[in-house]
Amino acid sequence: MNEEKLTKLLNDLADATSEPSRPGLSEDIKRQIPHRISPHKGGTDTVHIVINLRISKLAAAAVIIVTILLCAGLFGGREWTSDGIVDGVKDSLAWLGAGKADVLAVRSKYEDLVRQGKHVVYYGDSIAPGDKNAILMHLKLPDGKYRVVFGDGSTTILNAEKLIELHSRMLLKKTK
Amino acid sequence: MEKRVKLTEQKTGFAHQTNGQGDADKKEKNLDELRDSLAARLRDGDHAAAEEFVDMYNEQIFLFMRRLGHDRQVSEDLTQESFLQAWQHISQLRNGRALNGWLYRIAGNVSRLYWRRHKGREMASIEGVGIDIPENNEAGPDIVDYYEQLSRLKKAVEYLPEKLRQAIVLHYMQHLTIAEAAEAAGVREGTFKSRLNRALETLRKLVS
Repeated sequence: MNEEKLTKLLNDLADATSEPSRPGLSEDIKRQIPHRISPHKGGTDTVHIVINLRISKLAAAAVIIVTILLCAGLFGGREWTSDGIVDGVKDSLAWLGAGKADVLAVRSKYEDLVRQGKHVVYYGDSIAPGDKNAILMHLKLPDGKYRVVFGDGSTTILNAEKLIELHSRMLLKKTK
Repeated sequence: MEKRVKLTEQKTGFAHQTNGQGDADKKEKNLDELRDSLAARLRDGDHAAAEEFVDMYNEQIFLFMRRLGHDRQVSEDLTQESFLQAWQHISQLRNGRALNGWLYRIAGNVSRLYWRRHKGREMASIEGVGIDIPENNEAGPDIVDYYEQLSRLKKAVEYLPEKLRQAIVLHYMQHLTIAEAAEAAGVREGTFKSRLNRALETLRKLVS
């Protein structure tokens, strides 16, 4: 069969396979015309792209932490330097972490506080890491009380007497 | 029982049958302008344009779905879905003159997605409107032979792989130009022509 004949047959087949659609189909489709045709604008497209991105849990956690740090930087007066951000990440991991405290992160926090001129003492060199009863660092608060960070990363606020009591216990433990 | 051949008129609105090449070019140019203007109005959110758009294309898209092997009900659903998709993405249509191919591309994607979701589903033959070979005594041997060929061709088209079948349907049955059909298939014109040639070659072997 030559091409011309095949083409003619195909055209005839097109006619033979034509069928009208249901009379109400057109009206049904028209009823679904949205009030606002073409809702996709530049801004919303970008939002859709972000929403459609399938980010992993790890990436999502990282985004949340960076966002917290940026907000902390904005409202807490932290410097916008790369060191500041790295320190912040370390601090946050240590402060937010549920397990052992990262001594290095707390030290970094300590150095940061010292730079800010805060009254803070660090004991990381003399205590065992992870010791939940040992004071890793204490910071004097404006109201005269002390924020205490323990070796396991937990924190509490104590008055001066209680802090001295804790230090005494630590000393006694060391001498034993 | 006497079977009769029913050759219904195709209501494409863009039939390519004109008397001369000049008239055809002029008509095509007018259609391009019409599509361009319609696309611009659609992008502006013109509700009346959306209704014109439906009137202009709903029969074509319904037939396209039927020829891609969907039954009547599914074809209706997929036609509606194609228009919904078109309205949602009309801002992505840069060249209004490509409206034809662009809408067919959406319809093709809607159809493909349907087949992917319903893998076990068989293709529906369009025999309800199709070809009945006359069996009366008045029909001459040539006529019988012709309808036998037509019937074999219909089956052969149905046996074609999806891409080749789509090429045949777009160009020979929906009467899209090569450029429009290539746009609809989402390939370059050269690729589409090659696909079309392969499809024709396969059909020739199957029908001869």
